[in-house]
Amino acid sequence: MCRHDSAFSDAVAGLNTLELCAEGNTLVHRLHPLVKMAVTTIYVAVVISFGRYEIAALLPYFFYPAILIPLSETPGKILLRRLLPALPFSLFGGLSNVFFDHTPMILLEGFVISGGVVSFISIMIKTVLSVSAILLLVSTTDMAVLSRQLAAMGVPGVLVLQLTLTYRYLAVLVDETGTMFSSYMLRSPETRGVRMRDMGTFIGVLLLRSIGRAERVYDAMKCRGFNGVYPASSTCRPTASDLLCLFIVCGIIILPRCLL
Amino acid sequence: MHMADALLSPAVSAVMTAASIGSIAYSVAKLKKEDESGLSLAGHGESKIPVMGVMGAFVFAAQMINFTIPATGSSGHIGGGILLAAMLGPYAALLTISAVLIIQCLFFADGGLMALGCNIFNMGVYACFVAYPFIFKPMVKRCLSAGRITAASIVSVVVGLQIGALSVVLETMLSGVTELPFSTFVLLMQPIHLAIGVGEGIITAAVLCFVLQMRPDLLDFADHSGTAQRERRGALSFGRTLLVLLALAALIGGGLSLYASAYPDGLEWSMEKTAGTTELERTGSAYETAAMIQERTAFMPDYDFKSAGEDGSTFGTTTAGIVGGAMTLLLACAAGAIVAVFKRHGGKNVSA
Repeated sequence: MCRHDSAFSDAVAGLNTLELCAEGNTLVHRLHPLVKMAVTTIYVAVVISFGRYEIAALLPYFFYPAILIPLSETPGKILLRRLLPALPFSLFGGLSNVFFDHTPMILLEGFVISGGVVSFISIMIKTVLSVSAILLLVSTTDMAVLSRQLAAMGVPGVLVLQLTLTYRYLAVLVDETGTMFSSYMLRSPETRGVRMRDMGTFIGVLLLRSIGRAERVYDAMKCRGFNGVYPASSTCRPTASDLLCLFIVCGIIILPRCLL
Repeated sequence: MHMADALLSPAVSAVMTAASIGSIAYSVAKLKKEDESGLSLAGHGESKIPVMGVMGAFVFAAQMINFTIPATGSSGHIGGGILLAAMLGPYAALLTISAVLIIQCLFFADGGLMALGCNIFNMGVYACFVAYPFIFKPMVKRCLSAGRITAASIVSVVVGLQIGALSVVLETMLSGVTELPFSTFVLLMQPIHLAIGVGEGIITAAVLCFVLQMRPDLLDFADHSGTAQRERRGALSFGRTLLVLLALAALIGGGLSLYASAYPDGLEWSMEKTAGTTELERTGSAYETAAMIQERTAFMPDYDFKSAGEDGSTFGTTTAGIVGGAMTLLLACAAGAIVAVFKRHGGKNVSA
């Protein structure tokens, strides 16, 4: 019960902490969202474009999170905790290389390190770098700002609205699920989780409650003049300094890839 | 089944992103058309969009409830593709799943940014555009009964997950980052997702049957004109459902093992094969001047000690690699520390 309860509270806390971080007012926070989105995408694309046995060339890319974390005043502990869910799939793929790739790669005083170990380290470095970049983006940019920017970039309004509403309802529904789960576990203390035979009713009730809530919210939205279209508030254009920053940072990111 | 960036090549990522963007654009266009013709969410009319938003959050919340699998010590959770399609229709369901996957990627590091296209395709497109319209809907078309919904849910979830899992294997193999042989990967992925699919299918069926009893107007596949035939006749029995599943398992397991073979890695050394060399010659005064500066300042030229001969030494090369790596990381940390110190001093000045 405690394990599940902590999962629910962790999810809500995770959302809240990142949202609180995004409310900061540092140099990174003030950058135009388009610049941050473009830099993050280019950074991740460049990082994953390196070869499977590449380790040394990836190391300079640690400068990006190392500089951005203090610059944006993002707590490293939060980023580290958010990093963990990303590791299992990469760990699985990377470990398989250790078992299947025995190509001798590095000789260290007679000790041979296989290509599998090298590629495993490379995969894990890529994972840490790419996930850090994404987390730094959302910890320095508010979700509403990101959504507005997506709409300004031509992403269909229905998808942007979907994204915004899902994000907004997330904490509410996770909280409600936690309450329902606690009630269930108090009634059935001997079980480890929701029994299979109760899952249909449990999730069904959650579903109907969610839809009921959506209908009430929608009625309230209509009362306030909502007509099904996401209000496209004007997004300011990137300034000259924003663009300069974009070109410099992108240049710094791309240059080592071309040289190494 | 969320794929990570580190196991994908940019080429595979770009192709799958394009495919997913195409599917999303198609769904948006279809939704717009439905909206214009007044065919909105089953029984909901214009309130489709807020319900979609809540359904996205609902799937996210429902995924946090693990169910215990009887007679085993393991547990699983629902994926939600077929459940969403059955509630919202395939087009709205794809947009909802896409929003869930984008939020999972951004805020929970579950699946990568470059892998987003793959994840939307593997977990959304197959469930909404293949399993739901071609398996689920035809199976419940004739009559709405608990048995039929159960059979349709299990078969469509299993098929959707099997195709999705196979896609994960193919995308990973085509990326050429992992050495895992195709046959081993397939034999690991498919049976696991068969078990997960059966569990998810049963829960999806239970939820849909519950909604059918309580609010049938919410279901996409139900006949809202009131002429739905809720008859028990013709409903698939549990035994027949099991037979269908067994046949499916045999087909997937047997069929795939026939084609399973070690997939060749063709991407990694493509430059060497096409150009004949992995290093490109650079000439010109700028390059020569830069090379001279580099030679004078380099701590370990050519990843070796300065005193090493023409052939270099393995020990020197290895040490150079480790020292260079450590120096890079130290420099990165130092850069971060300097920024933090400056920020602290700057903050103090401002507050003073």
